[in-house]
Amino acid sequence: MSGYLAYLAKRLGQFVLVVFIGVNIAYVVTHATPIDPVEQSISAVTSFGNTAPEAIEQMRQSLKELYGVGGSWREQYFTFWSRILRADFGPSMSAFPTPVSALIGRALPWTVGLLVVSTLVTWALGNLLGGLAGYYQRSRSFKLMGVVAMGLHPIPYYIVALMLLIVFGFLWPVLPITGGSAMNLPQGWTLAFIGSVLKHSILPALSLILIGVGSWFLGMRSLVSNIVTEDYVQFAELGGVNRRRILGSYVMRNALGPQVTGLAMSLGGIFNGAIITEKVFGYPGVGTLLVDAVYAGDYGLVLGVTTISILGVSAGVLAIDLLYPLFDPRVQVA
Amino acid sequence: MSRTTRAWLVAACVLSPSLFALAAPANAQGIPQNIPRNETLILENPEGTIKNAGWFNIWSINAGSQSNGLQQAALDTLWYIDPESGIDGVWDNSLASEKPKYNADFTEMTVKLRKGIFWSDGVEFSAADVVGTVETQIKNPNMRFSAVLANNVASMDMPDESTVVFKLKKPNSRFHTNFTVRWGAIWIMPKHVFDKVADPLKFDFNKPVSLGAYTLNSFDPDGKWYIWQLRDDWQRTSLGRFGKPGPKYLAYVDPGPPDKRVIAQLNHELDVIHDIAPEGMFTLAKQSKTTTAWFKGFPFGHPDPTLPALVFNTQNENFKNKDVRWALALLIDIKAVAMAAYRGAATISAIAVPPTGKHPEAYHQPMESWLKDFEVDTGKQKFKPYDPTVGKQIADMLRPSLGEQIPQDPKDIAKAFGQGWWKTNPQAAQELLEKAGYKKVGGQWQTPDGKPFTIRVMVEGDLRPVMTRAGSMIAQQWKQAGIDAKIDVAQGTLLTRRGAGDFDTFIGWSVETWGGHQDLSYFMDSWHSQFVAEAGKPQPLRNWQRWSSPELDKIIEQTRTIDFDDPKAIELGKDYVKLAAREMPIIPLMAYNVFTAMDQTYWTGYPTAENPYANPVTNWGNSRYMFVKLKPTGK
Amino acid sequence: MLAILRDLLKYNLEFRIGIILVGIVVGLAILSGFSPYPPGDVYVVPPDVPPSSAYWFGTTSRGQDVFWQVCVAIRNTLLFGITVAAISRVLSLVIGLLSGYKGGWIDRALMGVNDTFIVIPLFPILVLFYFVMRDSMTWLMLAMIMATLGWAYDARLIRAVAMSLKTREFSQTAVFSGMTTREILTREHLPYVMPIVFSTTMNNMNWSIGLEVTLSVLGFTDINTPTIGGMIYWANQHTAIVAGVWWWIAFPIAVVIMAFVGLFLLAVSMNEYIDPRSRLSRMGGGAR
Repeated sequence: MSGYLAYLAKRLGQFVLVVFIGVNIAYVVTHATPIDPVEQSISAVTSFGNTAPEAIEQMRQSLKELYGVGGSWREQYFTFWSRILRADFGPSMSAFPTPVSALIGRALPWTVGLLVVSTLVTWALGNLLGGLAGYYQRSRSFKLMGVVAMGLHPIPYYIVALMLLIVFGFLWPVLPITGGSAMNLPQGWTLAFIGSVLKHSILPALSLILIGVGSWFLGMRSLVSNIVTEDYVQFAELGGVNRRRILGSYVMRNALGPQVTGLAMSLGGIFNGAIITEKVFGYPGVGTLLVDAVYAGDYGLVLGVTTISILGVSAGVLAIDLLYPLFDPRVQVA
Repeated sequence: MSRTTRAWLVAACVLSPSLFALAAPANAQGIPQNIPRNETLILENPEGTIKNAGWFNIWSINAGSQSNGLQQAALDTLWYIDPESGIDGVWDNSLASEKPKYNADFTEMTVKLRKGIFWSDGVEFSAADVVGTVETQIKNPNMRFSAVLANNVASMDMPDESTVVFKLKKPNSRFHTNFTVRWGAIWIMPKHVFDKVADPLKFDFNKPVSLGAYTLNSFDPDGKWYIWQLRDDWQRTSLGRFGKPGPKYLAYVDPGPPDKRVIAQLNHELDVIHDIAPEGMFTLAKQSKTTTAWFKGFPFGHPDPTLPALVFNTQNENFKNKDVRWALALLIDIKAVAMAAYRGAATISAIAVPPTGKHPEAYHQPMESWLKDFEVDTGKQKFKPYDPTVGKQIADMLRPSLGEQIPQDPKDIAKAFGQGWWKTNPQAAQELLEKAGYKKVGGQWQTPDGKPFTIRVMVEGDLRPVMTRAGSMIAQQWKQAGIDAKIDVAQGTLLTRRGAGDFDTFIGWSVETWGGHQDLSYFMDSWHSQFVAEAGKPQPLRNWQRWSSPELDKIIEQTRTIDFDDPKAIELGKDYVKLAAREMPIIPLMAYNVFTAMDQTYWTGYPTAENPYANPVTNWGNSRYMFVKLKPTGK
Repeated sequence: MLAILRDLLKYNLEFRIGIILVGIVVGLAILSGFSPYPPGDVYVVPPDVPPSSAYWFGTTSRGQDVFWQVCVAIRNTLLFGITVAAISRVLSLVIGLLSGYKGGWIDRALMGVNDTFIVIPLFPILVLFYFVMRDSMTWLMLAMIMATLGWAYDARLIRAVAMSLKTREFSQTAVFSGMTTREILTREHLPYVMPIVFSTTMNNMNWSIGLEVTLSVLGFTDINTPTIGGMIYWANQHTAIVAGVWWWIAFPIAVVIMAFVGLFLLAVSMNEYIDPRSRLSRMGGGAR
């Protein structure tokens, strides 16, 4: 047990280091953007209205002051870290003075709700079908399923989403195609609102699942086809063990390891949002926020979103590393 | 046939071109709940999803949305100038009861205010609000209009409840334009609300108290929609003069990408689309019997008083010489550009004034004879570059495929497609480039110092599809003439790079006007050489070409000394047009045609070219006049 | 080798279909060299013509022949996908196997690097590269960037397999018989991870091509070069789907699907051929 504790400590240390390096890279990258948030804001308010040129320079100065983009890089860097440690990302520049955390807090539940569900469903479906296809390799119907999965897989997501939208939103208009819930329906824990959210999530989730199943299918299929050649599977088959049991207890179970790793990383990775889904279906979420922030040069907001994503992925990887030795006793902790 | 069977049949031919003809009547999915559809006008807010949805303080800099209905329905200011003809003339005294009165040297402006106008919380609007708007922003220097007001206003007087006197720091004959709506302006702030606020910069103004005819009903915390409701006391607002607004509710929504906007309107879930690609407009015109646009047929779109042009960076060594700029203009085939950008649905302009609103009458038509005689000297020959028939040629080119949609009357053709443009002339272009010291080596042009002549045409990509399409056509034409030209997609970075002068050329505009009023100072004043930044320093709007000319400075200085309505302004404007044609600091292309598609299923009476009482483009503050003219269809 | 091929062609339907599909796609890609027009030029043919005998795949609203556009686009896109996949496969194999087999501080160091690559946010980095590089951001450049960013995820998968392989008897035997690490990894472990490498190659190509399309749809790629993403970008700018110009989108997508389905079928049938058990069953014996 003490071996495991030492492993735990080392692994936690690694986690902290990875997060630190990751956030620093994100910091450098976002600050290297050639987009000037001050210029973007000025353009946004002056591109239509009547503003005298001499006022622009004054506006520029006051925005620099407000956004805190003056100051040396060292000051900015330390302010940033001291804020992060207090879980505060400061005010957003493109929505000054609203705090970044408020903006993310509003969008994150949508992203998490949609992506956790669709990732889990996709994973389960892809692995089940992939496992069956890998085990019954010569079955035509499973091969056909493979072809369908492979055929759907490379269609650009944008097109799949748009097609679903046209079919179910226009030709046979049974499902809502825009927004996270019905317009003018107050948000709250009411039946009407929850029902509306569920209804609005069907198409976005369906599009993600259709596109996502292929890759899990393919991975599982190749893992399983590898395992079925193993001696213990052969022995079990010769020994007359029930097919379904072989598939469930011997084959799938052993193939699941890498797929669980993948799942953990996918779940950790959802915090960047699903940009195209949000764009096509008008679904609220973090992706739109991120793209907007990149356009506006709002690096406070970009950093806020990416820091959460870095934490999410690292935590997913960490969880897998910590749980793996407990599940698979053959793996020695070192 | 059961519903399901039909659905599968339909799904089976999902990729069929006749797709939209099969459309089933929609059962509405994307409309506001709990309010009657036939009392609601649904409009697109082109700002998209508002990330800071609950922010209504428009006087802070870029903190929330502007065109979510806030400036169109809830706010008001002293005057409006219509880009078209207006309901009751172009000029509308909104909160003011008459035009501004200046003293002789333009250092004092007196404004008489309307009586009987009320804020939506029942407080009466008065001179104190106007003074408060100015003083609050001067006191808090980080607000939206702080700099403009602080630079201009020395002090303010309130002789009585309905009179305000602005004492200016320096003579300014155009000071009132700050309070005159062309898209937006300085909006009047409720003094009784902002007086109670400690820091007006950090105040969200939620829920907003309105001075316009509508108040906020509800909004989406995720920023996808805003619903405004007609005030019971709409008669106590400035819009009340024109009768009761038709729609009881206004919904400003984010309808998503262009394909979806088309679908939404075909489903009758989006009454007014702000803008779509030309092909989307053609689809709507073909598929929807109820959709109308500014022009009844081709070219559909509303020409905004904005002039898309090829803007040179005249501080760049290659474009300092006007002969080079002229040569590049002569290599452009405007017909191909109009086709590529707008599929022909463009209103071209050879002169640097948008061919819209009152301008054709004031500038394009009177200048025609001058243009016909205008000569360019290549050093080897003198020739007349102007071809007055280009607009007609475009119409003739489109007639075989569009037939009756294309007008026959030369007047209508000029209105829809523009008058003339510069005739493509590769020979003259070659002579001009050679005159400027450029050499053609092996079919490729070289600059005087022997480097390849490269031009990057900066475009904004997805954000302005039509401009991107125009830019790629122009780049191709230059490339075919032996110049290393390519488009440079600066999606997201265009605004920063434009200000920083980090470009060779770009497709955009540095000319914007009132449209309904002939005065050009709206953009021209900012072209004065006093504002031109050194290379490498950021340039304030709008002289993005960083062009300075003593001759232009003289025109601008003269304009500053005369009254806004002085007919002399037109003469000065003509001088500017001649100067710009000779110097070619920008290559004017066409009007910015906005494909505002309006669905007449629930509402009729939209502004059109036949009844041009307002600008229908949804994000313009001026679009509010549409509300009083709309009539329910009774559906 | 030829005999194997003949065998496969004779006995295996999947292989035949796969070969035909991949052959068509490769043929189109090769044809791209014979395009009569420069692929970037617009208005060289009449716009919006549906598929016909003159223009097999129709023409775009930009006056380009979809057939030649597809040829060039599929060539660029496949080259792009293959470049990303090849480079990132090498990286993930080396690092995954080494890390999983060696364990200890090597594992921790490599996985530290690996995890950093997994966590750093891809989208802002790609957009930043695009902003900074501007028009020198060619597809090859993008491929290089994505390859260096796209290996980490699969390295972890391979490591997971390698870790369990290490505890297996044959690995121990190999160690006792004095094989070097390199020999054990290349001779004993590599064959076991090959199917995973293969499936991750397909997934990686899908990922990189998908990301290229996503970036294109958002307008963050070099749209002067025709790729599948570039075609969709321009089709989108002309609202091709609702305007009824379906051929602009349908043909490029059909070709991509053909490429992937073809590769899948080839892989499946070859896997079956290599796997001794299934060969046995084809000869009439075996358990199933």
